[in-house]
Amino acid sequence: MLAALASSLLLLFLAVPIGKLIGSGGVAGVRQLATDAELRGALGLTALTATAATVLGVLGGTPLAWLLARRSFRGRAVLSAVLDLPLLIPHPVAGIALLLLLGRESAVGGALLAAGLRVVGTPLGIVAAMLFVAAPLFISGAREAFARVDPRYEAVARTLGDQPLQAFLRITLPLSRRGLIASAVVMWARAVSEFGAIVVLTYNPKVASVLSYDRFTSFGLREALPVAAVLAVLALIPLTALRTLRGGEDGVGT
Amino acid sequence: MIDCRSLSARHGSFQLADVSFTVPDGRYGVVIGPAGSGKTTLLETIAGIVPATAGKLWLRGHDATALAPERRDLALVYQHAFLFPHLSVAANIGYGAASGDMAQEVARRFGADALTSRPVRALSGGERQIVALARAFARRPSVLLLDEPFGALDPRRRTVVRREVRALHREWGLTTLQVTHDFTEAGLLGDVAILLDEGRALQSGTPDELFRRPATPYIAEFLGAENVLAGTVRVLEDRAPDWLAGEPSPVARGYRAIEFTSGSLVIYTIGDFPERAGYAVIRAEEIVLSPEPPSGSARNRFRGVVSELATLGALTRVTVDVGGVPLVASLTTRSAKELAFVVGTPVTASFKAMAVHLC
Repeated sequence: MLAALASSLLLLFLAVPIGKLIGSGGVAGVRQLATDAELRGALGLTALTATAATVLGVLGGTPLAWLLARRSFRGRAVLSAVLDLPLLIPHPVAGIALLLLLGRESAVGGALLAAGLRVVGTPLGIVAAMLFVAAPLFISGAREAFARVDPRYEAVARTLGDQPLQAFLRITLPLSRRGLIASAVVMWARAVSEFGAIVVLTYNPKVASVLSYDRFTSFGLREALPVAAVLAVLALIPLTALRTLRGGEDGVGT
Repeated sequence: MIDCRSLSARHGSFQLADVSFTVPDGRYGVVIGPAGSGKTTLLETIAGIVPATAGKLWLRGHDATALAPERRDLALVYQHAFLFPHLSVAANIGYGAASGDMAQEVARRFGADALTSRPVRALSGGERQIVALARAFARRPSVLLLDEPFGALDPRRRTVVRREVRALHREWGLTTLQVTHDFTEAGLLGDVAILLDEGRALQSGTPDELFRRPATPYIAEFLGAENVLAGTVRVLEDRAPDWLAGEPSPVARGYRAIEFTSGSLVIYTIGDFPERAGYAVIRAEEIVLSPEPPSGSARNRFRGVVSELATLGALTRVTVDVGGVPLVASLTTRSAKELAFVVGTPVTASFKAMAVHLC
C-alpha cells in the first residue's frame, strides 16, 4: 500500500510538470513558431547539430561497442569506465574540459584554428559538446544490442565462408538493428536536450535549450514558457520512435 | 582427415586439454561424452571459432591450427541450428552455398524445399535442424562438423535424415565429425568414436572397440556396460588351458590365462593384464541364462537366482544374484517369457572367457 502510494506520488511528480508546461505554453509555442524566427533557427540548429553529433557517435561508437561486447582484452574494464565518465560528471564540467582541449589556447584547438576550424563559439562547439555527453549512451546501448545477438550466428556465418566484416554486415548488424537504432535515437534525444556543456563552449549561435534559458533569464517565465513548451513537445518525437522500436522488438532466438 | 594432435583450447572457464585423435579422410567420426565434457568446444576449436592454445590441427593434410574459419573448407551445424532469423529459409540454405543448384538439390534431399515459403521463426525445432543441415551441405564442404544435429527430430524423421546425412557423406567423400549422446547412433554412424570427458579424450577407436574394450571402468559404465566388477587379477601358469580350445590362439599373441576374483565370483578370462586390482567388464548381451547348466563351451558358469526383471520393449534385462554379486543379462522379451523367468527363479548364468574385458 505504502509502496503503491510512493510510486503514484513519484509518477505524478514526473508527469505533472511536463504536462503543465505543455498545457500552459504548448499552443502558444506552436503559434510562436510561425512568427519567431530566432526560435525556428534555434530549433533547426539543434536538430542539425544533434544529428551531426549522432552520426559521428554512431560511426565511431559502433566498432567500439562491438569490441566491448565481443572481445575480451586487457584494459576492457578501464575502457568501459572511461566511456561512462562523461555520463557521470556534471555537464558544465564536461564543457570546461572540452574548452581546455579545444579552446584556442590549447594545442588541439590552436591546430584546428590554424587549419581554419574554429570550435568554440561555433556550431562545431555545439556538436563537440553534444558528442561528448551523448555518445556514451549510444555506445552503451549498442554494446547491449550486440551482446544480445548470440555470437554463434557470426560463427556459423564464418564457417559458411564469410570474412569477419561480411559476417558483421550480413548477420550481426541486421540482428542488432533495432537496438542500434534505439540507441542512436536515445543519443540524439540526449544531444537535443543538452545545455550545460554547450553553454560553456558555444553560447551563440543558440540551440533551443540555450534559447529557453536565455529568454528565462532575460525576460522571465512568460517569455520562456512557449519555447520550453515547444521543446517538451518535440521531445515526444524520439519518445514515440523509441516506443515503436521497442514495441516491435523481439528476441533473437535460435 | 581430421587430425587433432594434443589440441588444447580455452572457452571461458572451460579447458579442452591435450586432445588427440584422427578421423581418416572420408570417414565418419562420433564424439560421445557426458554433458559439459567439451564436445561442442571441440567442434568449435576444429572450426576455428575457439582458438587453439596449444597442439596442432590438421585438416585434409594441411596445418589448419591458425586458419580462419572461412578458410577451413568446413561447415558446422549446431544443435540449436542458429538459422539466421532475418533471412528466409531459402536464403539460409543459399547462404554460403557452392551454387544455387547445389542449394536446391540439398534442400530437396532433406525435404527442406517444402519449408522455403515459411518464415524461419515459424519453424519447429526439428525443421530448423533440417534447414541447418541443408545449409551446411549446400556449401559442399570437405569437412562437416555436426553438434547433435538430430536431437529435435521425431524418431521417424530422424531415421530418414540420418540416412540422408550418411548417404551424402559417402557420395561426396566428406570427413564428418558428429557429437552425439546416443550410443546407438554412435554405433550406427561412426567409423571412429572418441570419448570425451572434462575436456580430455579418454579413448578413441572404432565404436565396437570402445564398447567392447573400454579403457577404464568409468568409460565402461558411461557406455552402458551393465557388469563392471571390481576385483583382483591372478595370472595362471597354465599357458594353454582347456577352456581356450577353439579360440584363435590368444596365448600366442602374448596373452595369458587369467583368474579374476570379485567377491564370491571367480571368473576366467585371457589378456595381458598384470597381477593387480582391476575391473572386469562383461556386457549384458554376452551372458546366457538357462534354467539348467548349459551344455556349451562357456568357461564361466554360475548358479544364482533371478532378483530383478526389467522389460524395455523387445529386450528384457534380468539381474541374477550370484552369491551376493549381481550379474545383469540381456535377452529378448520373448525368450524371457518362454523361459518363464520370475523373481526367485534359479538359473545358470554363463559367458565365455573371451567375453570378459579387463581394465
